[in-house]
Amino acid sequence: MLRIDPAPWREMVAHAEATYPNECVGVMLGLTQDEAKTVLTALRMENVNPGSQRERYVLDSRDLLAADAEARRRGLDVIGIYHSHPDCDAYFSSTDLKNSCPWYSFVVLSVQQGRYHHANSWLPDADQTRADREDLILPEN
Amino acid sequence: MPKVLIPTPLRQYAGKLDAVEVDGATVGEALNKLTTQHPDLRRHLYNDEGKLRSFVNVYVNDEDIRYLQKDQTALGGGDVVSIVPSIAGGSALWP
Repeated sequence: MLRIDPAPWREMVAHAEATYPNECVGVMLGLTQDEAKTVLTALRMENVNPGSQRERYVLDSRDLLAADAEARRRGLDVIGIYHSHPDCDAYFSSTDLKNSCPWYSFVVLSVQQGRYHHANSWLPDADQTRADREDLILPEN
Repeated sequence: MPKVLIPTPLRQYAGKLDAVEVDGATVGEALNKLTTQHPDLRRHLYNDEGKLRSFVNVYVNDEDIRYLQKDQTALGGGDVVSIVPSIAGGSALWP
């Protein structure tokens, strides 16, 4: 189960809408207790895909390394990665799956015509062959 | 000794440690000793063929070992080894 606090959720939605029609990417920091994960901070990352960014994103590993260091400084965990799907549903695509990592939750935000529409969280397996939908609890407003 | 930083999601498999000092002359030796000390880490880093999983990148200090000597990259006493997954994706269908 993944719960996202209001402040990081506002940041994630704002990031996804500001990046439209391209895909955004960011890292979620928070706390893990057993199977329950709470996102307390969202860090915007740069999409470094060299081609079109309308339907692809790449996260620079050095940026993820820096985010992990930031989590260490704050006493938090890297909970997962978020990215947007402009004018698409929040599915976990074959591209998402083939470039995923099972250590993290992957939150996908659907942005339709520049506005946030809906979101899902996914848990890919170690062999990058399937991703299960994770219970996602968002702030009410 | 070189130090291996444990990514936050993997600390539960490494005695909740955020870093482990291991005696290894190369990256391959260091990771082998790390996963010998903490066997639960192995399946998260290596596939059934004993190779690092495709999404696992390893850095020595700020350098990706793919651009050094890979798992033969030499380590010194003050070196810091980081394990960082490669992450990408997007709404497009995989070719």
